[in-house]
Amino acid sequence: MAISHTRETRIGGVDSAAPPRWIADHFAILLLGLVLVLLPAVASNFVLDQIVGWTLILGMIALSLMFLAGYGGMVSLVQMTVAGLAGYMITVFGASSLPSISLFWPWWVAAPVAIIIAVAFGTLAGALSARTEGIYTIMITLALASAFFYLTLQNWSIFNGFNGFTTIPAPIFLGINWKSPVALYYLILFFAGLSYVTVLYISRAPFGLALQGTRDNPRRMEAIGFNVTAHRIAAYAFAALIAAIGGILLVWLNNQISPGTAGIEATIDLLVIAVVGGLGHPIGAFIGALIYVILRTFALDSLVAVGLDGRRFQTIIGLGFLVIVLFSPDGMIGLWRRWSARARSQTGKSPR
Amino acid sequence: MVGARSLPDREEPALSTIAERIAVAGTGNAIELRGVSRRFGGLAALSDITLSVRPGERRAVLGSNGAGKTTLLNCVTGDFPPTSGSVRFYGEDVTNLPPHERIRRGLRRTYQISLLFQGLSVRDNVYLACLGVSRGRFSFARRHARDAIMQSVTSLIALVHLESVTDRPVGELAHGQQRQLEIALALAGAPRFILFDEPAAGLSPNERGDLIAILTALPAHIGYIIIEHDMDVALRVVESVTMMHNGRIFKEGTPREIEADPQVQQLYLGGGHG
Amino acid sequence: MTTALGHEVAPQTAQRGDRFARWISRRPVAALTIAIAVIFVLWLVFAPWPEEFENVFGRKRLFINALFNGITLGGLYFLVAAGFTLIFGLMRNVNLAHGSLYLFGGYMGYEAGVWTGSWLLSYVFAFACCALVGAAMQVLIFRRMQGQDLRQTLVTLGLSIVFSDLMVWVWGGNAIQIDTPDYLMGPVPTPIIVAIKSSGDAVFLQYPRVRLVIFIAAVLIGVGMWLALHRTRIGMMIRAGVDDRDMLSVLGYRVQLLFILVFAFGAGLAGMAGIVGGTFQSISLGEDSHFLLASLVVVIVGGMGSIPGAALGALIIGLSEQFGLVYFQNYATVATFVIMVVVLALRPQGLLGRR
Repeated sequence: MAISHTRETRIGGVDSAAPPRWIADHFAILLLGLVLVLLPAVASNFVLDQIVGWTLILGMIALSLMFLAGYGGMVSLVQMTVAGLAGYMITVFGASSLPSISLFWPWWVAAPVAIIIAVAFGTLAGALSARTEGIYTIMITLALASAFFYLTLQNWSIFNGFNGFTTIPAPIFLGINWKSPVALYYLILFFAGLSYVTVLYISRAPFGLALQGTRDNPRRMEAIGFNVTAHRIAAYAFAALIAAIGGILLVWLNNQISPGTAGIEATIDLLVIAVVGGLGHPIGAFIGALIYVILRTFALDSLVAVGLDGRRFQTIIGLGFLVIVLFSPDGMIGLWRRWSARARSQTGKSPR
Repeated sequence: MVGARSLPDREEPALSTIAERIAVAGTGNAIELRGVSRRFGGLAALSDITLSVRPGERRAVLGSNGAGKTTLLNCVTGDFPPTSGSVRFYGEDVTNLPPHERIRRGLRRTYQISLLFQGLSVRDNVYLACLGVSRGRFSFARRHARDAIMQSVTSLIALVHLESVTDRPVGELAHGQQRQLEIALALAGAPRFILFDEPAAGLSPNERGDLIAILTALPAHIGYIIIEHDMDVALRVVESVTMMHNGRIFKEGTPREIEADPQVQQLYLGGGHG
Repeated sequence: MTTALGHEVAPQTAQRGDRFARWISRRPVAALTIAIAVIFVLWLVFAPWPEEFENVFGRKRLFINALFNGITLGGLYFLVAAGFTLIFGLMRNVNLAHGSLYLFGGYMGYEAGVWTGSWLLSYVFAFACCALVGAAMQVLIFRRMQGQDLRQTLVTLGLSIVFSDLMVWVWGGNAIQIDTPDYLMGPVPTPIIVAIKSSGDAVFLQYPRVRLVIFIAAVLIGVGMWLALHRTRIGMMIRAGVDDRDMLSVLGYRVQLLFILVFAFGAGLAGMAGIVGGTFQSISLGEDSHFLLASLVVVIVGGMGSIPGAALGALIIGLSEQFGLVYFQNYATVATFVIMVVVLALRPQGLLGRR
């Protein structure tokens, strides 16, 4: 595959990490984490859930795509579908406004079952596309994603067709009502942070290292003893786990799910998010998601405010995406890296 | 020059002691090809090759460009399977096994055009090769310097004299260093038999000397097949030679016999290839 | 590379001649099964169905209609997918804007039809417009990122987002129907019996003339493409490029010309298909992704980069959609994807694809 990966990942480094260096290395992300944890003290519920919460969830699902595309070279468009399936399953096994379909199992049964089903689906999709190479993945996964979309649209007995489901409450446990905005925010933040750290960690663990090997040189990987197909499928399974958790959180946040949740447009949007953010580093997924959510929330109004037709929102998204792909294929991360490298080289030169 | 430094410890559980190896070796050949053919569409790249190599034997496969030498290696490793015929590795029929299964059984190879992970460091390249033939390929746990694998990585890098560039990305290495790294990858784990595809191609005379030293210093139980255009290298590191022409074997013998053979002289050594 | 190529070339023509006979002798069971299936289908089509049979499988009229609609829809899918598969095979560019080109062609054909009043002229116009857009895409964008297949595909994705929004802007969200010209209006009688009246008279199938004509045109285009690929120099170059990427570098500067040509031609075909689609059904918002997906599935099922594969895939998908619509309505679209999944699982390179 030919997207330019900026491989900063010094995966070879042995971890003899002394704490102070570790903190210095991750200063920015620790600071960001601290800000996010303290955010509820200052932010409104709208900002908390509809901006930051939504960003974190979309970021998680985009992260699962980034993991496959960035480390494995497999641009899987089926990740939004995995999330959507998990969301549907939590509604079917858990609670919704439709007692004729929902089984109203307790959350601690429904959630794992939903995740298992979604991961099984994601793994199967991986098994179908992992045997083919590179660019075929996009075609196959896009076709699978649309198959799921049409299934949800046409099936009424499980997916309730066009209407989907509403009133899907987050559960109450540990004495906390996770439906309340602040509690839900922390739940989302916990899982988003966890998946971010896990992906970062795995990228330097043997599994992730080998995955990057299959991206760069699958034939050589076979010739040093790796089962490339099995490795790819395992990567799909892991990515599906992240996407599935994201999907459940998405349903709890929006309180509804319908075919559009994992529709073709949503699938494409997720790819846009991941690419705009940058496939070179896990943080890219969240950056892309933030840009997307802000545009989604405010662009319509601001377009109208400057006298443009608010309905041309998609054109703006498409053009922005094109600009990124044409001029900075490694996304916002790439922009930032080049910018900071230039800044560094300038400050390095100036004293002389 | 290269001392006869021993190979790193091996994790491969298959055959742990030399004694066992020899016991198995006594029962058959390391590599045995029977009637192997390989066609590409209407073209026959290999026709009815029957070849056996003893454990620990070192053999050169010589022939002009297009004689089918690399195709032969590819059929042995499974990079692409033969159209017909069978391949046995230490008595086991591996004809239908995928490449990685053969590698895990102790077969190794190098590539004529270096097929390395260009974006990764030397250490990571060797690490991946060691990981590929050990447990923990799917491990999520990070490694530490005291890990057995990490130790064998260090000694493999030392074996091919790449200590000074351990942390450099492979893409930045000189051609000769990349060739050395190819060999290090092939020595990872517990190799029982190695296929070298033109390891000396593009090397300087000095580097060729290093290469010969590394090859002759390999433990005696490790056999290999070497494809090489450079007669000086090839005939100095092997005990037997197979000559190929147009996808067929036409002569087998000791280096001395081959050098003396008039037909070989005419077809190959004198034919402007030597 | 020293992979030994270049000797012991088996005589190709002799091989091709008796390939069929050898295949039958090699797989007698498969051959027999296929023969029986063919006879059964012929019986289904031409014989009047016994009453018990109709009780189980529904009326013959439904079946025959689904069959004919499926085949003609397959012709339409072929027109769209043929360009898609050529572009993919030669340039490794998954043109996600292909559906937009289809829709654009439909709209341009509609406009041209309104202006000139000629249905045939509208094809020429739509072909020209889409070919121009396709050539422009290749010249202005993809030429600069040759070999970067993912990046090219992402660009086509961005373009398709912009195109579809702009088309909504210009033509709105309403469906547009392209009128069938008078000389193609009305049904054609066929010798196929669909039912027996109580009086004992046979009822024969009447089928829309325009659909038959368009299907024949699609077949002619397909045969023409096959001939062009196999009998002309440019066609040889294209096939060589699809089969062996390294061949392309040998062509040097001409490779760019070849790419532009193929992209323009594929886009033009999609544009013409837009008019066909507008005549068969209608063109509207959302049809772009519908036909993009149809092309994806057709090409995955048939085999990437293969024109006969596209034809076979289009036929299978067209039939499965129409039969799905008649026999298990709720899952019509899903049935198509089930076929795709089965093909992928058993033969990842597609039915007629090569590794």
